[in-house]
Amino acid sequence: MTHPLLNIHKLRIAFRTHTKQTDALKGISLHINSDERVALVGESGSGKSVTARAVLGLLQQQRGIEIGGRIEFEGQDVALLKDSERRQMRGTKISMIFQDPVSSLNPVFRIETEFLEVLRRTNPKVTLPAAREQAEEMLRKVSIDDPHRVLRSFPFQLSGGMNQRVMIALALINAPSLLIADEPGTALDVTVQDQTLRLMRRLVEDHRAAVLLISHNLGVVREFSDRIYVIYRGRIVEEGPTGAVFADPIHPYTRALLAAVPRITKSGIPKLVDDISQFTEPCEIHPARA
Amino acid sequence: MTSVGRLLTARLGISILVLLGVSMLIFAIARVIPGDPARIALGPNATHEQVDKLRADLHLNEPIWKQYGYFLHDLSQGELGQSLYTNRPVTTDIAQFLPATLELIIVAGVLMIGLGLPLGILAAKHQGGTIDNLVRIIALLGVSAPSFVWAVILMLLFAFYLPLFPIAGRIAVEFDVPTITGFLLVDTLLDGQIAAFVDALRHIALPAFALALSGIGQAARLTRANMAETYHSPYIEMARSYGFPEWRIARRYAFKPSLTPSLTIIGLDFAAMLGNAFLVEAIFAWPGLSRYGVAVILRKDLNAIVGTVLIISAAFLIANLVVDLLIALINPRIRYSRGRV
Repeated sequence: MTHPLLNIHKLRIAFRTHTKQTDALKGISLHINSDERVALVGESGSGKSVTARAVLGLLQQQRGIEIGGRIEFEGQDVALLKDSERRQMRGTKISMIFQDPVSSLNPVFRIETEFLEVLRRTNPKVTLPAAREQAEEMLRKVSIDDPHRVLRSFPFQLSGGMNQRVMIALALINAPSLLIADEPGTALDVTVQDQTLRLMRRLVEDHRAAVLLISHNLGVVREFSDRIYVIYRGRIVEEGPTGAVFADPIHPYTRALLAAVPRITKSGIPKLVDDISQFTEPCEIHPARA
Repeated sequence: MTSVGRLLTARLGISILVLLGVSMLIFAIARVIPGDPARIALGPNATHEQVDKLRADLHLNEPIWKQYGYFLHDLSQGELGQSLYTNRPVTTDIAQFLPATLELIIVAGVLMIGLGLPLGILAAKHQGGTIDNLVRIIALLGVSAPSFVWAVILMLLFAFYLPLFPIAGRIAVEFDVPTITGFLLVDTLLDGQIAAFVDALRHIALPAFALALSGIGQAARLTRANMAETYHSPYIEMARSYGFPEWRIARRYAFKPSLTPSLTIIGLDFAAMLGNAFLVEAIFAWPGLSRYGVAVILRKDLNAIVGTVLIISAAFLIANLVVDLLIALINPRIRYSRGRV
């Protein structure tokens, strides 16, 4: 069997301040194969985004952060790479889509400048006209009809949905093998978010990119991903193919999450079991699922 | 750049209105403060008839709106009237004294930008480090004592106890520099007198630094704060996620968006320097407009007061205009907001 594209093994991350230590991840393991779409689902503060940043190698160079366990990308232990080698990997082999497209694009750059900068990550000699041409083609793929105008615009002149599509185009233009999407479009309204996800799904299929989708929204995840990991308080509490998890959620937290997907009923948001220890200890993964 | 052109025209129009308002205000204030300009100019030994004649010549017995009318009439011909203190046209006086002050303020401004911004950037990159602490100390020193106190301290330290710099004046007497622009640093170079240029530079160093100190500290602190904030913004994280080198992120991604507030404060500091220059010029015997301004106010030399204040206001407005234009060039959001100025 070949290596999975991304293999995370017992990853632990702790943030240390002068007074205390906070464990963000308590040893999670997950893997993503090439061409696979995997979702990491959990509530705020469960460790989703930290996982994404660790994969990108953004945490490794920061002070006060302890990282244990292993992250392997394309069979290579990321921790063994030098800072510069990790940097080399970002934007070329792994790229990331962020939550808030409007504030994630630099306010003083035209969109074409962003594309030029990103394209130069793989080909430093690319000229502005060549970059424009590639960018226009990519923008058409994300259903932008007037790429020329968009390229000449600044982010604040475009709508949130437009900016989101620009972000997706930027993330995919270098044909990365792994795309990390951290709650894409959560900052936008639901219809735009839905459009975005459909678009992303189509494009990752075309580009044969694997995706790690990070979300708190199970509805989104159900439509998008092949497999699901449910993360709670820094631990993976349930994993499995999307269909199976939805059909028969075993862990109480997963059930609570599923029940929290808004439906038009009178019941409101369901309560989580009060006694957390019931499902975090002693086993992270329910025996029936493991 | 049509949007910048539009901005420029709108701002120029407003500036002219502001200058007109300033002229009315200062015209009235100068006449309200007690004391008879004619009596002061002629001295205690002049007769009543002489004083009355001068008052009549100066239209001082007429209503103030009529006097303002005469002033506007003169102004439309490029005249600001006669100074009672120097007995020369006010315009001639200003032409003589203004370059020295402008030179001082421009050098101080260059120090402020040239030291303040880089210190701020370095402090933001190495938060909690030596440079960061140094910036904190400079900023604290700069704001905790006014420039004229620093002028005295610098003079004592670096001209008296440790005579590295000349104690006062613009240039040593042995140099004979022809007046071309009035800016000694320029004139000496135009005349090819390198030694004189160096001497002028040594003369301007202490007063300019005393004037710039608080600005350096403020600009550095503000740049540091904005850079630090920008470093936490999503677009910096995005730049990192695309693997751009750190120095490139600092220079290209973080610096430009953080510059706007620093530029604004630099513009305000320029204005503050015009005011602070009054005392710094007095301490360093700098033959500038500020010293002239103090002298004419004490003598209630009406035309000269109005002229000096107008010129200083104009310099103030121009400095702000330049800052606004620079901000518009850097920040597309401002450049594209039509109609708002």
